[in-house]
Amino acid sequence: MDFTFDEEQRLAAQSLRDLLTDHCQGGDLRRAADARDLPGFEAACATRRARLAELGLTGALVPAEQGGLGLGVVDFVLLAEEAGRAALPEPLIDVEGVAHPLLAALVWAAPGELDDRTLQETLAGSALVLSATPGTTMLANAAFAQYFLLGRSDDELALYRACDISLTHRESVDPLRRLSEIALTDAKPIALVTRSAAASAWQAARARSTVLNAAQLLGLGSRMLEIAVAYSLERKQFGKAIGSNQAVKHSLADVMVKLEFARPVVYAAAATLAPVRVAHAAVAAADAADRAARAAIQVHGAMGYSWEVDLQFYAKRAWALAGLNGGRSAQFSAVHHSLLRGELEAQWA
Amino acid sequence: MAIDLQYTPKQHALRAEARAWLEANVPREPLPSYDTAEGFEAHRRWESKLHSGRWSMVTWPQEYGGRGLDLIEWLIFEEEYYRVDAPGRVNQNGVFLFGPTLMEYGTSEQKSRFLPRLASGADIWAQVWSEPQAGSDLAALRTTAIRDGDDYVINGHKIWSTRAVYADWGFGLFRTDGASERHRGLSYVVVPLRTPGVTVRGIPQLDGESGFAEIFFENARVPVANRIGDEGQGWSIAMATAGFERGLMLRSPARFQRTAQRLIELYRREAQQAAPIDPGVAATVTQCWMDAEAYALSTYMTASRLIAGGSIGAEASLNKIFWSELDLSMHRAALAILGARAELRGLGGGEGSALAKAADEATRWMDGFLFSLAGPIYAGANEIQRSIIAERVLGMPKG
Repeated sequence: MDFTFDEEQRLAAQSLRDLLTDHCQGGDLRRAADARDLPGFEAACATRRARLAELGLTGALVPAEQGGLGLGVVDFVLLAEEAGRAALPEPLIDVEGVAHPLLAALVWAAPGELDDRTLQETLAGSALVLSATPGTTMLANAAFAQYFLLGRSDDELALYRACDISLTHRESVDPLRRLSEIALTDAKPIALVTRSAAASAWQAARARSTVLNAAQLLGLGSRMLEIAVAYSLERKQFGKAIGSNQAVKHSLADVMVKLEFARPVVYAAAATLAPVRVAHAAVAAADAADRAARAAIQVHGAMGYSWEVDLQFYAKRAWALAGLNGGRSAQFSAVHHSLLRGELEAQWA
Repeated sequence: MAIDLQYTPKQHALRAEARAWLEANVPREPLPSYDTAEGFEAHRRWESKLHSGRWSMVTWPQEYGGRGLDLIEWLIFEEEYYRVDAPGRVNQNGVFLFGPTLMEYGTSEQKSRFLPRLASGADIWAQVWSEPQAGSDLAALRTTAIRDGDDYVINGHKIWSTRAVYADWGFGLFRTDGASERHRGLSYVVVPLRTPGVTVRGIPQLDGESGFAEIFFENARVPVANRIGDEGQGWSIAMATAGFERGLMLRSPARFQRTAQRLIELYRREAQQAAPIDPGVAATVTQCWMDAEAYALSTYMTASRLIAGGSIGAEASLNKIFWSELDLSMHRAALAILGARAELRGLGGGEGSALAKAADEATRWMDGFLFSLAGPIYAGANEIQRSIIAERVLGMPKG
């Protein structure tokens, strides 16, 4: 029993934080958000994308025997938190934390249906793969991907080329989430996996996605808390910083309580990937980020309700992420049903 | 080492050993409340029993009767302790607050004088800090201990001392410099509670029992040898104790996990009855399980960090807010499920009629609820903790 991250895990997170400190500040986000069209958006993100590519995270969660780095979700959870902290527009977590290892798992489990050419292409960095669970029609950053792993049902998974499906741009409340609606009318997949391999690969991908979203929410919440504290020190009313008022202090202290008790839950979920822990992590992180967003907006007063403050980027990302993978409501229900079935005891083996 | 949430074989073995001993030794019937004279002595005997198995203070060094367990092993022991609903620790403040303080600040003479008797339950200890005008603002305390030869002469009035009605000793904070103000001029002095000049008067709590007391000092004399640490160093020693109190050890997660488990059992049983359960209560039960787990995971994470050489600081205040609100929330949910039965007072024993059983069950939840109301108040009210978090962790301005 050792509930601490190792040096390597911390250093990886630190290197991403350093990169994002240089290339993903409020001003960087605002330039992307203000872009008039897709080329403008891509131009605003170009430097950061290039730096991210140099970070060497491609294939991070792909097993080493398939040419990846062979890391686990627990090695990646702090990186997801950093991506959240910065409201990173790029799909680093969706690709490297979810879709890429899913592609590798399918190639491994069903080599007859899916050869490894696409995987070689994505590992080489010349193509991007994204994935969406069955029933998902809206996907962020789809415009930047060359391949899509899409669930047609719980045990049917298809790999498509971007040029074979139809993507329609849709606006998100988060100006940095480039959303596309996916339509598969007459689209022919380049591969189809239908056996139980698909079902278990899906399950694992969904768990990774849920945990890593929770980690991003944790990062977003922590960042919003920092922004709120900084503003409360800077903004003066009645001749003193508003942060010296107990009502403001206690509101932000409560945010910290929420965040700090969501944190170990998210880390434990990343380490175990146990279904109840994963669902719990989603609920705890969504609640903490929601509390952080509300408190931070309130502390900013009218500024908090304006387009002008960067706080909006983090709050809107949090609201968007909190709804994914069934959202807080489905995850809470999952925990509740485990409780009714008497399954909760097994969490401490 | 990366995160590994599996127990080691050694940890499993400790769990098995603790479980076997506890199952063989825990009293079959719950002991009477330790806030009664009879119950206090019964709990003292239990402390002595625990000591005979070397389970009374497992984290203490072996030389003082402990097992030298690390914090993770302590968590495992506590899980086993609460699993069998073992009796509350009447000497809790001695074990978790005074003992560690003495080990850090006491002389070797003081350690050998107090620790063995504390460990065996021969001496039960109470904290003697608060005063009528010094609660949250502890530094406003005015009770003096003025040097007279080899003695301190104590005068003043302490209050809200938990277990002090029947306890043998108090560890207190006194003003040894009569002209001093605030945090200066305070010393940490231990006082026998049955000595001339000391009058202890019980204060009935919400449950009707005298769980805490006020203490009047009129020219009570204690030897200077009863001072822990240097004269005038009392505040910093007391704050070290307060760190233990709010921090890890006083409220082990197992206690809340056990309550959450009982709440879930109650909920599942009642959910099978005809009367529907409010979906809001159902959601609260789920939230309580999650929060009890979060508290446990957080404690394991902190324990791992401390074992790896880290330290716990103002973030202890986060714990105190979290567990005290969780405890309240769990008991409120249980009372909501019990509905009209919640107000029934039982006689104990629980045998006989269905009503007697229901009354005993309700009493346990109601007494737990009444006790949980104290959680957000004692050891520094939660409002104080929120200010500590804001000022010392988030860096917001004082005032």
